[in-house]
Amino acid sequence: MNMSSVLRSSLALGVAAFLGLLTYSAVHSMNYTEEAAYSRDLRRVQAATAELNERVLKSRSALMAQYDPLVRALRDLRELHERLKRVPEFLGNDAAFELRAQLEESEAQLRQKDELVESFKTHNSVLQNSLHYFPVLANSVIDRARIEPSGADVASRIQALISAIMLFDTSADAESTSRVLAAQVDLSTAKQAARELKLDRELELILAHSRLILERKPTTDGIVHQILAVPLSRMALALEDAYSMHYRAATDRALILRQILFSLALATVVLGLTDVILRVRRSALALEVATGELRQANAALAREREKERQLGELKTRFVAMTSHEFRTPLSVIVSSAELLENYSDRWEPERRLDHLERIRSAAGSMGRMLDDILIIGRAEAGMLRASPALMHLDEFCKHLVESLEHSSARSHCIRYTFTGDPRVTLDERLLSEVVGNLLSNALKYSPPGSQVHFDVVANDEQCRFEVRDQGIGIPEADIPRLFQSFFRASNADQIKGSGLGLAVVKKALDVQNGTIEVQSRLGHGTKFVVQVPRDLSVSRLSSTDL
Amino acid sequence: MRLLIVLLGCIGLIGCGLREKSHDSVARENDSLGDQPLEPLPLTVEFDAARAALGEVLFKEPRLSGDSKVACTDCHHEDHGSADEKPHSFVNGRPESAVNTPTMYNVRFLYKLGWSGKYESLESHIDSLMKNPKVMASSWEIATAHLSEIASYREKFRGVFPDGLTASNVRLAILEYERSLVTPNAPFDRYLRGEAQAISPDAKRGYAMFKSYGCSSCHQGVAIGGNVFERFGVLRDFFADRGHFDNADLGRFNVTQRDQDRFVFRVPSLRNVALTAPYFHDGSAATLETAVTDMANYQLGRELEDGDRTALVAFLRSLTGEYRGKPL
Repeated sequence: MNMSSVLRSSLALGVAAFLGLLTYSAVHSMNYTEEAAYSRDLRRVQAATAELNERVLKSRSALMAQYDPLVRALRDLRELHERLKRVPEFLGNDAAFELRAQLEESEAQLRQKDELVESFKTHNSVLQNSLHYFPVLANSVIDRARIEPSGADVASRIQALISAIMLFDTSADAESTSRVLAAQVDLSTAKQAARELKLDRELELILAHSRLILERKPTTDGIVHQILAVPLSRMALALEDAYSMHYRAATDRALILRQILFSLALATVVLGLTDVILRVRRSALALEVATGELRQANAALAREREKERQLGELKTRFVAMTSHEFRTPLSVIVSSAELLENYSDRWEPERRLDHLERIRSAAGSMGRMLDDILIIGRAEAGMLRASPALMHLDEFCKHLVESLEHSSARSHCIRYTFTGDPRVTLDERLLSEVVGNLLSNALKYSPPGSQVHFDVVANDEQCRFEVRDQGIGIPEADIPRLFQSFFRASNADQIKGSGLGLAVVKKALDVQNGTIEVQSRLGHGTKFVVQVPRDLSVSRLSSTDL
Repeated sequence: MRLLIVLLGCIGLIGCGLREKSHDSVARENDSLGDQPLEPLPLTVEFDAARAALGEVLFKEPRLSGDSKVACTDCHHEDHGSADEKPHSFVNGRPESAVNTPTMYNVRFLYKLGWSGKYESLESHIDSLMKNPKVMASSWEIATAHLSEIASYREKFRGVFPDGLTASNVRLAILEYERSLVTPNAPFDRYLRGEAQAISPDAKRGYAMFKSYGCSSCHQGVAIGGNVFERFGVLRDFFADRGHFDNADLGRFNVTQRDQDRFVFRVPSLRNVALTAPYFHDGSAATLETAVTDMANYQLGRELEDGDRTALVAFLRSLTGEYRGKPL
């Protein structure tokens, strides 16, 4: 796995994690309206509980004449509990579970409170009625009893019961209870007297109300205590504490989540940027390489085109040259042959011989040209090989000079010198191509009567051939292309030539491991220096050894 | 429509506020009475008029019952304060009801329903009665099947509910109608709101006695009852005097099975009480006068003089409200 794939995998992972967390946080995001409503409801549980307790106490103290507010407070509490069971989602499942468990406990307390309040209302109604009515009734009976002189005793007993009840209403301890009981017994014994006063039914009613007060007051007060003791308020407080704890935990989680999200987003951006930078850099590099390659390819293409152009040029020249070079001797042959055919019987033998000689010379020149072309062709096809053999160099050169001097009709004089051991192992045929071409060029491009120097030195290693003329020379610019086939120096237009001679020299030297150097001054003459290994068989051997 | 009602309600409330301020002297007259145990009914309540109208039709529809013979109005008589003039309701093939049928008016202000407080809400009340073989002997599904045979019902429901005639919608329509059964603006309510001449001097005296004799210890709040349970026979034994015993006499005990709930009943609302004779869970008091006499005797241990009774009854008659703007 390379650097960029690691980078890209982490990038994908980062983006995936970022999106995942984003979705999670969107689902579990804090709903502030929901939160506000929920915590408001939580606080209202306490407020409603306090209100309920206050209303119970007010009802008990006859400060509130109806139970509708009690009923409403209980209904509010039930509705609050029902609403609170829908725990805000962002708190998480654990919190919801815990809060609901607490709520269920609180609801159980509420049901208990509800039942107690129910019971309280029932008892309190009766108690309040008796507490209210008892003194009214008792006092009215006292008033009626006191009209009769015999009623004074009954009146005083009723008065005693009123006092006992009033004391009981404030303290309700054992002593006041026994005092009420005593007063009730005391009053009961006066029933006969009351009957005589026609107040017996009223007396019964007074006693009944006093009994109700005696019975219902402790009951009602006990219920009130129980109602106040129901730990609904404390549970609401605990519920609020639990909620605040979970709320804080949820906000902490949300904060951490936000930080992680931020870090992930940052990391993703950094990774993404790194990736982009790396990609840009890589593509710039690739572009550079491609540009380089393209430039090279273009250059190669241009070279190829140039070569092709030169080749084409050469071919054109070759065709032009060969057609011209071959046509000249051919026309000589054709014309001489026609003349001989028509006039040979009338001509003197000399003249006949002359034409025959012309035919022979032309054919010879064509043959040489063909030889040259064949050598070049063979060399270019890699088929030209040297066949070295022991030879006498001095003899060879002398013979060559003589034949050239002879063919140039002795218009030029070749100054030939030889130094060294003349026995060499070289390819005689190739060597004759080299030296013959150089010497015939020297003769051809030199004015008649001028001297051509031909110095041969055969030392231990090398054979050195130097050919020096006083001819037209070669323009400096033409020297690099001097050895190309059919190339002719710009100043050689007036002199007949195929442009193959030096090409043949070069090819023949190449297969003999030889070298050629040229020095020329335009209009003053040219010097060629050729060096060939003395023993071609050894040199070739050594070259294969290398 | 609902908007209109709310709007009218708002105007009414504002109007009341203004009126209360302009009758300062009357308010001061009532101030001497201190905290009033009784409250006037609100002049308007919120409900969906279209649903309630449909519910009203259903309330009279016997097809709601399993045998298509019993309608709600067979016990809750429209011309009898939405109660039954017979001590026990007795309808087509059903056994006689165990208790006297209470009125449906102002039920939305009661916190528990039925003589024994068996039902916590209008919903549980109607669900139970629909299934009860002694009452509707039906179910919402059966009722809906009966109704869906009638094209006009299908059309009416489509007009009111987007999903048309369904069991749930039949129930919702009836419930909405029950919530709309409110009778505000009784002469006594007007008196409480400061209209000093709304009730007769007898009724005013009756109200004073109602409070001082201790009636308002139990019959109080906006429904003048209905928010507390009380034993029938606090100072004297009603059932011993009546002579026979009936299981329904156990009252709340039948719901809770607790000893202290024997002979305990939900204190009934006294709103429109003049229209809903006979009285008590057993329908044993044929007239308002008898009911007042019995209550004073068994609950308060008192014998009423004729004048007192007349005043109390005059007060109770002032509790008859208006339904849809017309006095009942």
